[in-house]
Amino acid sequence: MSENANAPLPDNAPWIVMKFGGTSVATAARWRNILELAASRRAEGARVLIVVSALSGITDGLKQLCTHTESKRRSDAAAALADRHHALLGEMSLALPETLGARLDGLAVLAEAGPAALGELAWQAAVQAHGELMSSALGAAFLTANGLPTQWLDARECLNAVALPNQNERTRLLSAMVEPHPDPALSAALAARGEVFITQGFIARDEEGRTVLLGRGGSDTSAAYFGALLAAARVEIWTDVAGMFSANPRQVASARLLQRLDYEEAQEIASTGAKVLHPRCLSPLREPRVPLLVKDTNRPELEGTVIGPEVREHAPSIKAISARKGITLVSMESVGMWQQVGFLADVFDAFKRHGLSVDLIGSAETNVTVSLDPTENLLDSDAIAALAADLARVCRVKVIAPCAAITLVGRGMRSMLHKLSAVLAEFGQLRVHLISQSSNNLNLTFVVDEDVVDDILPRLHEMLIGAGALRTDDSMVFGPAWQALYGSGEAALPAAAWWQGERPRLLELAAQRSPRYVYHLPTVRAQARKVKLLQAVDRAHYAVKANTHPGILKVLAEEGFAFECVSPGELEAVAAVVPESAPLLFTPNFAARRDFEAALATRATITIDALHPIEHWGELFRGRAIVLRVDLGRGLGHHQKVKTGGTGSKFGVPIEHVDRFLRLADDAGARVIGLHAHLGSGILDAAHWGEVYSQLAALAERIGTIEVLNIGGGLGVPSHPGEAPLDMIALDRVLTSVRQAYPQFQLWMEPGRFLVADAGVLLARVTQEKEKGANIRYLGLDTGMNSLIRPALYDARHEIANLTRFGAPATTMYQVVGPICETGDILGSDRRLPESFEDDVILIAQGGAYGAVMASRYNLRDAADEVLLP
Amino acid sequence: MTDVQADPRESQRFRFVRHAYADGVAELAYAFDDGPELVERITFPGAPAIPAGREAAFAAALRLLHLVAGVSYYKAGIPPAIVVEGAPLDDEGAAMFDALYVHGLAEFAYRNRLDLRGRIRFPSSAAKPVAAPAIGLPKRSLLPIGGGKDSVVAVEAVKSIGADATAAWVGNSPLIAECAARTGLSTLNISRELAPGLFELNRLGAWNGHIPVTAINSAILVVAAVLYGYDSIVFANERSASVATLEYDGQEVNHQWSKGFGFEKTFHDYVHSHVAADLDYCSLLRPWSELAVTSAFARLGGEYFGVFSSCNRNFRILGPKPADRWCGQCPKCHFVFLALAPFMPKPRLTSIFGRNLLDDPDLAAAFDALLEFHDHKPFECVGEGAEARAAMFALANRPEWQEDALVARFRREILPQLDPSELALEPWLQPGASHLVPARLLGALDALG
Repeated sequence: MSENANAPLPDNAPWIVMKFGGTSVATAARWRNILELAASRRAEGARVLIVVSALSGITDGLKQLCTHTESKRRSDAAAALADRHHALLGEMSLALPETLGARLDGLAVLAEAGPAALGELAWQAAVQAHGELMSSALGAAFLTANGLPTQWLDARECLNAVALPNQNERTRLLSAMVEPHPDPALSAALAARGEVFITQGFIARDEEGRTVLLGRGGSDTSAAYFGALLAAARVEIWTDVAGMFSANPRQVASARLLQRLDYEEAQEIASTGAKVLHPRCLSPLREPRVPLLVKDTNRPELEGTVIGPEVREHAPSIKAISARKGITLVSMESVGMWQQVGFLADVFDAFKRHGLSVDLIGSAETNVTVSLDPTENLLDSDAIAALAADLARVCRVKVIAPCAAITLVGRGMRSMLHKLSAVLAEFGQLRVHLISQSSNNLNLTFVVDEDVVDDILPRLHEMLIGAGALRTDDSMVFGPAWQALYGSGEAALPAAAWWQGERPRLLELAAQRSPRYVYHLPTVRAQARKVKLLQAVDRAHYAVKANTHPGILKVLAEEGFAFECVSPGELEAVAAVVPESAPLLFTPNFAARRDFEAALATRATITIDALHPIEHWGELFRGRAIVLRVDLGRGLGHHQKVKTGGTGSKFGVPIEHVDRFLRLADDAGARVIGLHAHLGSGILDAAHWGEVYSQLAALAERIGTIEVLNIGGGLGVPSHPGEAPLDMIALDRVLTSVRQAYPQFQLWMEPGRFLVADAGVLLARVTQEKEKGANIRYLGLDTGMNSLIRPALYDARHEIANLTRFGAPATTMYQVVGPICETGDILGSDRRLPESFEDDVILIAQGGAYGAVMASRYNLRDAADEVLLP
Repeated sequence: MTDVQADPRESQRFRFVRHAYADGVAELAYAFDDGPELVERITFPGAPAIPAGREAAFAAALRLLHLVAGVSYYKAGIPPAIVVEGAPLDDEGAAMFDALYVHGLAEFAYRNRLDLRGRIRFPSSAAKPVAAPAIGLPKRSLLPIGGGKDSVVAVEAVKSIGADATAAWVGNSPLIAECAARTGLSTLNISRELAPGLFELNRLGAWNGHIPVTAINSAILVVAAVLYGYDSIVFANERSASVATLEYDGQEVNHQWSKGFGFEKTFHDYVHSHVAADLDYCSLLRPWSELAVTSAFARLGGEYFGVFSSCNRNFRILGPKPADRWCGQCPKCHFVFLALAPFMPKPRLTSIFGRNLLDDPDLAAAFDALLEFHDHKPFECVGEGAEARAAMFALANRPEWQEDALVARFRREILPQLDPSELALEPWLQPGASHLVPARLLGALDALG
């Protein structure tokens, strides 16, 4: 290898510690990867110490070996584990190296002898340590044979465990602690021996000279210990993901890679849910200020996460949101007792007696509430019943389960509270059982009912971005979204928006008149065809409330859409443009009797979403086929005001009134042929419609007369950078799987925004700018909330671009505002744009839906006109 | 015969036209008046040729199925006359089908405000049938499973005595398939395809509503038992299934009538006398209350907790989250939660359901209905009100439960109106006397105690 030809390193060359886990050392191909990475570090001019785990599955095999009482079975198990290593040697075309042979012999002896001589726990530690001893010996042989001379180092020579007062024999041997301090003598001694070393994770030696284990997360911890001992330039943890993310990617696909964290933040994120790093591996590095880098073995080109000392030059930001489920709360209520000396000690003694360990604590004058993590003891023994019985003697007890702890992590949490109003309002909708904020000012934890977590977490993540509390626009800290890095199918970068290619025409249109809306009909057609590709859907309606421009209605009629209207006015507008053959659906809310009368005179299918019309105006519907809009009892969406399910929303007949509705419909002589539910707007998770669909179908099956299920719209359109678009293929898969279970029902949908949002832009011109305070700059446009009210009404985010200076570096952070006399007249907060000047043309994207239709003449300013681009 | 369907409610006759079986597929044909045939198909996977010596039993079983499954179609029009083509029924058979159609459709009639009494009369002749002989069926059982706790408990009881058994189900439910796989037994999944014309009839204004689906599944399994060779069909219907949901205009309405002991006995006797003397039909859980079954289920432990569901609304879509299996809004969810609570650690129970239904004040009315407080029992397969009250009373005395909204409400508002001497849990855990479990499986019955 070329790196081998490098000149010898000076004695004081820096150290880099690289750690590889069990799957990274299990195959020859993965070892070649290690070889390449280690050689490149050596080529940088660093001494390299590689720390490895046991081959995947070997540690479990060794633990299993320890459970056998017969010597023969232990020996057989040891032989089987040896075979794994022989097989890998074969794959590497290597003969058995002496170091590995010695380890295999050592294991065979330990297995045959059993625990008698060493004592049970010390013997277990000695046996399990062989996983790493063998993998590192094998690695040394492979690396050396392939041109990177590598010294095998016994970690036990370097890592000395310390006995701590709260440890017992078990924890001293199986969860040992090391207190490493930079040791220049060790660095020098190793430097004299070579340039590249390989050693074991997970193991150390105690004061009596026995082999001990470091417990869970042990290999990461070993790497950190070595990093501290050698005062390394950095510690690299190589794993199967690029680092820590702003949320668990399994819950939030748009979670962003965290490129920079300080030790405390990273430790907090690791402790509250992230699995990438064990929290204990950070503290050894803090004092010697050794940075830790998390990298993806399969994608070494990705930046990864750098964890180091506190960085002062960044704006305060929430870094991550995490959730832990399965939490049980014990709430204890008592008047006046808490102040009595020893009372609380007695209470906590009961927890200790029943083997339950307390995590979070919240307290008031008359109440103390504590949380318990989901241990086996809690779930499968009568511990909680016995605890409650004990506590009930001294206070009122309530056991609250299942709960989840949602934690926001970020340095300087309290200084961000003012940005969290929308987030706190979201929690205001929930049962919050406990709030905890510790004095380290790194976190804010809410304990809520567990069933809300999966829905709320992605939403909170979005809201934190929308509120400017999670500053994803700070590209120093926040990297790409998980979906973009690891998501299936879609390319990482979204296609450029149509308006980038139409810049000259748009500038011309804006020069003629401003403000104005421009609609790009090819984009409408393209979106329409995406909906039409949904095989499972029998009929797609365009929800015309999003945009009633005749040109758009005409295009969608040509694309074969049906139309969904919510008022007689919309029915008229549609009837004036679309052919007689296009089916119509009338789905009003709180519509007057005369509205129904008007709609019944058209060909529209009528949806009723309350008892009142069928109860009091039943004769209108005699002999008619009607659709019932039900409220499935919960709502979704990107903002409180666009959620249309749950008791907080005025839409739909609640499930418990469905039977009554059916009786009333029967009395009226109307046939209920369809069920409809629509939970909200802007939903980007395909699974959601499957849930609505299957719930409607299960309900419909009991009713009997239902032919049609209308699962509404709400197909989301991404509006934040890095947000993943709705996966239409996944959506079709979800819908098809439900459809197979219920082939008897036709499936209808009614998308609106999805079809037209991206097709429209609002063009405006800069009128002036204003500076306030040290660094707040306002950019004033010639229109605002009178043309586009979504930012003010829903906190919606619309991309904003300076069309005149498109492509110039975005250097200035602006608050983009309109001329309306309202504090809320803001089109975009904290937007980085090129330095902008009077008369520059500014484009506000995604204005095709709920733009012009919601415009007003407030302040008696004319709203924007509308132009079509064919 | 015409090709065009008409509104079945205008028809005069419901006709059992014909039934046939070939290559593992049974075809059952019905018609209103001279309208087009409605053909239902039932597919028996990997069916062997009909074994020699069982031809007559198979023919009798297929005819039984034809007559029972007709209830799905008959109810679309409930015309005044029933016509059975082919050999006439005997009195015993006609009486059974009369009872099945009247009681099995009682909830349908109540909901649609119809009176079926005197309207349903299967024609019969006074001829005395020859008693069916034994046909040497192998000593193994079909265990119908539904994905809920009852069938799981029955399966484990049968496994505990080492009896040979197959988990069987009708239809295409991923949840049941998953639960069946979890039993470790061999499996038999029979598919059933309703006549497409039925959907057309619905569009034309057919009557619609609840049908006695357990009776249909029972008849399908009788055919399967003769075909594949099983000497017993062992359901998991418990004692409370026999209790009426409500009384309406002098008639008892029981949502789960075909899971009740009355039907079980009639059907058992009919199968013995008309199909095969050595084919037993029974329910293993019959002597046991819902509470006894839930306590047995709680004892089974972890393996089933993550896959079972007794919820009727949500269980078509299988997912890893509790909300995929338990809607939390239907009476089944409410009852199963309440009935498991006295027998399971609270954190475990709430982790199965993903929420605590007893701490949701919005569900007060729903639990009142279970307790038969203010309201009648809901139309779902749930336990007796007295069982629900006993379970709630047990929780009212448990510190880890008693502060939950609905338990506290029970203590405050409902308990003072009840006689505490009738609220003990223990009597519900004792078996009753009546059951039809054959001698070979009595050990499994004891295993539940």
